[in-house]
Amino acid sequence: MNRDNGSIIRTEDLKKTYHDSGVDVNAVRGVDFEIHSGEFSAIVGPSGSGKTTLLNLISGLDTPTSGKVWLKGKLLSNMSGRRLSDFRRDHIGFIFQAYNLIPVLTVRENVEYIMMLQGIEKTERHKRVGNMLNQVGLSGMEDRLPPKLSGGQQQRVAIARAMVSRPDLILADEPTANLDSETGSDLIDMMYELNQKTGMAFLFSTHDPMVREKARRVITLKDGRIAENNIKK
Amino acid sequence: MTLLKIAFRNIFRQKRRTLLTGLSMFGGFVMASVFIGWADGSYNHIIDNFTRHNFGHIQIHEKNYLDRPSLYKTIDTYPQIRSRLDPIDEIDSHAPRVYSAGLVSVGEKSTGARIIGLDPLREKSTTKFDRKICEGRYFSLTPCYEALLGKELAKMLEAEVHDDIVVVSQGADGSIANDRYTIVGLVDTGDPMTDRTSFYLHIQDAQELLVLGQRIHEIIINIGRLKRVNQMTDRITRELDSPELSVAPWQVFARGFYLAMKADMEGLWISLVIIVLIVAVGVLKTVLMSVLERTREYGVLKAVGTRPGQIIKMILMEVNIMAVFSVIFGFGAALAVNSILAVRGIDLGVEFTYGGMAFETLKSEINARSFIIPAVTILLSACVVGFFPALKAARTDAARSMRTH
Repeated sequence: MNRDNGSIIRTEDLKKTYHDSGVDVNAVRGVDFEIHSGEFSAIVGPSGSGKTTLLNLISGLDTPTSGKVWLKGKLLSNMSGRRLSDFRRDHIGFIFQAYNLIPVLTVRENVEYIMMLQGIEKTERHKRVGNMLNQVGLSGMEDRLPPKLSGGQQQRVAIARAMVSRPDLILADEPTANLDSETGSDLIDMMYELNQKTGMAFLFSTHDPMVREKARRVITLKDGRIAENNIKK
Repeated sequence: MTLLKIAFRNIFRQKRRTLLTGLSMFGGFVMASVFIGWADGSYNHIIDNFTRHNFGHIQIHEKNYLDRPSLYKTIDTYPQIRSRLDPIDEIDSHAPRVYSAGLVSVGEKSTGARIIGLDPLREKSTTKFDRKICEGRYFSLTPCYEALLGKELAKMLEAEVHDDIVVVSQGADGSIANDRYTIVGLVDTGDPMTDRTSFYLHIQDAQELLVLGQRIHEIIINIGRLKRVNQMTDRITRELDSPELSVAPWQVFARGFYLAMKADMEGLWISLVIIVLIVAVGVLKTVLMSVLERTREYGVLKAVGTRPGQIIKMILMEVNIMAVFSVIFGFGAALAVNSILAVRGIDLGVEFTYGGMAFETLKSEINARSFIIPAVTILLSACVVGFFPALKAARTDAARSMRTH
């Protein structure tokens, strides 16, 4: 059943319990929310409130103990491992706190990687990589390897990698946590601009007040439950 | 292409580990190649020498002779056969033989013996039989009632060179065959069993004794290259084109020797398995270690949409790139070692005797299988060994790997 209705993400009574050293940890306890296409949203909350777990469940990187996730109207639990990989590749871009670039690939190759998996032809790939690197301010650094870049530059590459394949949703897990406040602020501004320009939905998991400030929707998690779900008019 | 690029570049991330992995594959290849080359060279050398100097590479008999040898199962057209064999270039030499059994006596001592009639000249050029004389001399070229005795037979009969020896047997015409000969020499073939039973006569003396006329029992043939034995057997069969004759390679008429050699060569595979295991353990350890170190990266690759199968492919590529380079370098090194061993051989220090043949050095052989078997083995074991870590990487829990690493 298609449950789209303009929403890019929809969750229903989503729960996740970890079994850690014989102890059950309820990381997410029945979460229902919806994010619409093109929204710039944030999940906030103290450490251990379940933000990262929630992002992992939404992206299909982790499986819920119970409940459902629809992404672009598709129920993730109905998908096989391979289909889920392909779905993630085509519809979700990831930005991680620790950048997580492939260290043996150059900036250009890192950005190009997902498009290669998608089978996009070389000329198109190069065109898109050039545009994207220009947008994130990394023109001229195409041939550098990630370890030769600063944290801010690596995160820009990660943003370019997440966006270049034009996914519907960008999931950003604490993207500014490892950066100084100025660089973090610049990146948030940049992502906001890109969101406005491209219409891709952004969902952050963050402590960063800058993100909270920019976000149209702010979901506050507390002890694995939604404490608030505020939408700015 | 990107997967290949990642695999290739990953190789250079931990240079020392790559070197170790590569060295263990390289070492395995060289060891296996040299081992096979040397084993093939040694066995072929032993087989060639043993067959060449005892019973030839190929034999011709009356069609049923090998199943049940008999005085009456003779080759009646030796001169014609000889004229067909002589023009064949690949035949080095051939010699006719006559066989029977009889009772031999020297003085008061008697025993059963195998009567073997040899053509002195042809036997000399074919099996170098004259070199097996350990006492006395070889036959005169013309028949003159001379006999040679296996040295063990001589011992049993307490016979010496220049003694007379009387033989009693059965003639092909049904008559009782008996005659007296002078022992001119003793024979040491290196095989005590053979030397205990063998009584040699000039072929014409034997034919006269056994009333065979021009008939013979066997033609032994030596060819230029042992490897060509089956093709030559077929060729000779075609040339003779006679349903009355059977042409057999050494594997058929010397079945016991063939099986013994085959069983010996089985040991080669056990050694190969040991080499492969050593290589496999080394490779498994290093590949597993690098997979464990890169768990987070595999998690990221999975998160961004890389399929598990693509991760397996990438790791197998990585292992196989190392294996291919190891095989290429190993090929060069093994070729060099095998070439040296093929020319100089390995000096055994002491003389080693097999079937009466003495070997002081055993030489290697450069053949395709001594490179193909190790190459296929290294590449296959790299795939097999790499598969387990690859599967582990492909099963990486992306969320967990990024949380914990």
